[in-house]
Amino acid sequence: MQVSIKWLKDYIDFDWSAEELADRFTMAGVPVENVIRADEGLDKVVTGRIEKLTKHPDSDHLQICQMNVGEKELVQIITGAQNVAEGQVVPVAMIGAHLPNGLHIKKGKLRGLPSNGMLCSAGELHLDLTKLTEEEKDGIYILPSDTPVGVPAKDVLGLDDVVLEFELTANRGDCFSVIGLVREIAVLTGNKPKWPVIACKEDDEAKAADMVSVGIEARDLCDRFSARVIKNVKIGPSPEWMQQRLEGAGIRAINNVVDVTNFVMIELGQPMHAYDYDEITGHTLTARLAKAGENLHTLDDSSRLAKGTELVIADAEHPAGLAGIMGGLETEVTEKTRTVVLEAASFNGPSIRRTARACGLHSEASGRFERGVDVTNTPRALERACQLLQDMGACTVTQGIVDCYPDKKQPVTIDYTTDEINRRLGTAIPGEEMVKILTSLGFEVEAKGNESYHVTVPSWRNDCTYMEDLSEEVARIYGFDNIASTTPFGRMVQGKQSAKQNFVDKIKHTLTSLGMTEELSFAFTSTDLFDKLLVPEDSPLRQAIPILNPLTDEAPLVRTCLLTSIMENAVRNFSRKNNDIKLFDVAPVFLPKQLPLTELPEERLMVAGLITGRREEVGWNQGNEMVDFFDMKGIVEELFRALGISKYTVEAGEHFAMHPGKTALFKKGREVIASVGELHPQAAENFGIKQKVYLFEMDLEVLMKYTGKSFHFESLPKYPAIARDLAIVVDEDVASADIERVIAKNGGKHFKDVTLFDVYTGEHVAKGKKSMAFNLQFQSKDKTLTDEEADAAFKNILKAVEKHFAAELRA
Amino acid sequence: MEEKIEQLKAQAAEAIKNAAGNLSELDDIRVKFLGKKGEFTTILRGMGALAKEDRPKVGKIVNEAKAEIAQLIQQKNEELKAREMQQRLEREKIDVTLPGRQQPLGHLHPLTLTLERIKDIFFRMGFSVEEGPEIEKDYYNFEALNLPKDHPARDMQDSFYITEDILMRSQTSPVQARTMQKNEPNAPIRMIAPGRVYRRDEYDATHSPMFTQVEGLVIDEGITFADLKGTLELFLRQIFSEDVKVRLRPSFFPFTEPSTEVDISCVMCHGKGCKVCKGTGWLEILGAGMVHPHVLEMSGYDPKKVSGFAFGMGVERIAMLSYGVDDLRLFYDNDMRFLRQF
Repeated sequence: MQVSIKWLKDYIDFDWSAEELADRFTMAGVPVENVIRADEGLDKVVTGRIEKLTKHPDSDHLQICQMNVGEKELVQIITGAQNVAEGQVVPVAMIGAHLPNGLHIKKGKLRGLPSNGMLCSAGELHLDLTKLTEEEKDGIYILPSDTPVGVPAKDVLGLDDVVLEFELTANRGDCFSVIGLVREIAVLTGNKPKWPVIACKEDDEAKAADMVSVGIEARDLCDRFSARVIKNVKIGPSPEWMQQRLEGAGIRAINNVVDVTNFVMIELGQPMHAYDYDEITGHTLTARLAKAGENLHTLDDSSRLAKGTELVIADAEHPAGLAGIMGGLETEVTEKTRTVVLEAASFNGPSIRRTARACGLHSEASGRFERGVDVTNTPRALERACQLLQDMGACTVTQGIVDCYPDKKQPVTIDYTTDEINRRLGTAIPGEEMVKILTSLGFEVEAKGNESYHVTVPSWRNDCTYMEDLSEEVARIYGFDNIASTTPFGRMVQGKQSAKQNFVDKIKHTLTSLGMTEELSFAFTSTDLFDKLLVPEDSPLRQAIPILNPLTDEAPLVRTCLLTSIMENAVRNFSRKNNDIKLFDVAPVFLPKQLPLTELPEERLMVAGLITGRREEVGWNQGNEMVDFFDMKGIVEELFRALGISKYTVEAGEHFAMHPGKTALFKKGREVIASVGELHPQAAENFGIKQKVYLFEMDLEVLMKYTGKSFHFESLPKYPAIARDLAIVVDEDVASADIERVIAKNGGKHFKDVTLFDVYTGEHVAKGKKSMAFNLQFQSKDKTLTDEEADAAFKNILKAVEKHFAAELRA
Repeated sequence: MEEKIEQLKAQAAEAIKNAAGNLSELDDIRVKFLGKKGEFTTILRGMGALAKEDRPKVGKIVNEAKAEIAQLIQQKNEELKAREMQQRLEREKIDVTLPGRQQPLGHLHPLTLTLERIKDIFFRMGFSVEEGPEIEKDYYNFEALNLPKDHPARDMQDSFYITEDILMRSQTSPVQARTMQKNEPNAPIRMIAPGRVYRRDEYDATHSPMFTQVEGLVIDEGITFADLKGTLELFLRQIFSEDVKVRLRPSFFPFTEPSTEVDISCVMCHGKGCKVCKGTGWLEILGAGMVHPHVLEMSGYDPKKVSGFAFGMGVERIAMLSYGVDDLRLFYDNDMRFLRQF
């Protein structure tokens, strides 16, 4: 909705500037998006007469103008234009003018002669070129010769109007009209509106009801269908004032009949349509559902096959238009039209919205119906349209209105008390002030005594049904700014979050302290990503939920695996030459129970991590090694320590995205609590990655099951520990974890800890064997251990590893 | 005898004085004069040859000389130690302007940091965090919020649909309805619901198909619009700054009545008008309102007994203003160079 200040001022006086009015509207809940000034940049452009025109002595094309711009002295201006002549009045940009095209007018010299301004063309003034003749567009814009000189050009060019562009909220259909906006101004200023007097003379003897019949078949989609018939129609242009008003509202003038229907729509908020009476088969119009397959041929000369859900206005045979959206081509008003049926109807908003969306046709009319029009307004709109056309001498008006209004709408009433509204707002607004506000907005307020009231809602306020709606009316006019702030009052409560949310926070904080950086990724994925990541064809992860209307074909699915997201972010980083990456993500994946979805999918929070590149930062004193599998494993181990997850096992395992020889599964019993491994080299190739990438993936809810509930510290030892080193040679495929398990089991009661500190394969060890060195710690809580006790325990351990792993003590 | 002692003393003093080299040289001197086989010990041992009456006198002289020498050695010792320390300090000098060895921390995502600040402020006001699914029923996302099918306000948000009745939630507001329905009817609520939401918006500098919202809901007996105003003012002053100005503009949301947009004075230009606030001096920061009676009723609350307010804000918007980030895509590109700044 946009409207010019001039149109508003036709109906009400106010002193506010356009900007101030825009601000008042906005602060009262009628948001103004833009203030558009046609005269932007025309401040120092005045009218001037060319008193004398001479050739420039040093130029073939330049001319010297002595301009009368209403000052004592003539002003000399050099122009290159060829369409000027002595005696003409033209727009003159004076020194200091800053034209709409950005041109700044300064004192200057042209071929040695001073020039103190510029004569302007239509383009330079930002005039609407589409309305000008070729001649007018070319060269200097010549004004009528009787134009006064020395006056602001914007006044004579009709550019002194300012347009307000509204971004109205969906509830305020009533403000989609000039009278609706004027009503608001009246409340805000306290000034009295000058409503237009609407009355037409039925000056044709024919009776409308004898000429046309109207009906409503789809009663739930159309509340009212009213029509009038006008005869002896003379199609022609509408008067200049009306064209200007329409232009301010962003509507192009077409012909008097169409312009009038548009004018009434903007003025009163009631969309209208004009039919060529002679083209209406059977002279009957019915609001009905389209029949599936019926051809809808609209004014934009496009044809659609009806689905059967569209509301149409049909004559005896065919649809004559998409109700409330666009008229039909066959019944269009043309220059030949002599008799016209004017329609003003009230259609069901949701239905109009559905059809408009489905057809991709959004019009000024459909926008108004979607928000709801005033059903009582249709006769007034017809009356107004006839009056305007009659005033132009463009028609005669037949007798009566043909009106189909089967279920007369009863006005909505609301009861409220002053206290109720004040309690909702937290205010102490006096009852009489509320009554004043509501009355000025058109509500009829009846006092029932004891500060309680009975309110009749005006027919144009479809949005008001409850006391709460009235409270908003009171608050927005009283001013939100005038309501003093308080804070809620009540029991003391504790702000908290769930254990799961705390756990998420703990994981994020631990991973960042381990040097990992958090990413946030989109929840979308694609088959292509599944393929690249080597997700098996039969994996349930491939059962990702498809989005009906994805934004792009590249991301049509909702993710089932967090690794696809983290890989996408890694690839983006590689493409930007960020090769050292330590990322993690904590986010849900969406696992449907079946497709298509019949119930909500399971949302599982996953934790994924990715490291690649250098272990340390680049620096003069830093190492140059790249991260490896054990960096990633170490991060997971440390995370688990922080989360209080202990007594898990680690074994070689499989994960589709990981290198089969470099995948570790962390387990509690049979349940995998984390997968850690190198990105499968095939997957790396698929993603175009040239360096080694390590991943982890875990299910947050599984981790949560095993996290330590509470933590107790272990007292510090009072007695010293005794250390022994165990260096053994075993077969290469013996797992370290297995040896450690056997050591711990056979270490006796003073066994404290085992740490693997060296692994060696090479020339000093037989082929197929490896040497491993463990540091063993023995300690007692009650006494200082003797060497003999430690030796005994060590011997037991040695015997056990010799037995279990055929280990040999290394010399 | 006395003369000999004097001589020895002088010798020792000279030797100590000249023992410029190091501590071990000084120790040699100590052994030579004061050691078990040293010169003075020899004298003391030879005292038997002296007359009985001379012995105490000589003994005294020897002991005094020994003490004197010991003191000289001690002095010299300290002197040498100090010098050695000095030399060591000079030797060990490094170029302290060389860069330190980096101990890099990881970084939380700026949106997580912002969300943590938001949560923290609300925790202190007694709000708890509630959650709901990201793939949601149309009923919770729209209908239970007084947005029936074909309501024009649905145009405000273009959603990603999975089926006709299931969609990717377009707002965190469905958590309102879920929380109310989970509760005993009319039980007081003070909650926030942070989370990811999805809208079918092209990915550009100010739009993203996924973003983060925080929904808030307070329900109790006697909650007023003035309470909404006060609570949001408190929050906005803490998240931005004490001197931030807050402005409420009437607006429309189907789930609140009255509804308001909340603006703050521009944090970049302090209300003077700049590119960020498009010259208005104000920034739209959140939407809010008094919970619509329909919304309460649909979730089993009685609007005659309790009232409440709700609000919703975009975490990206707050993070962009807090950190001066001018392109929303930076948050979701996850470029390490960006993330490491936080």
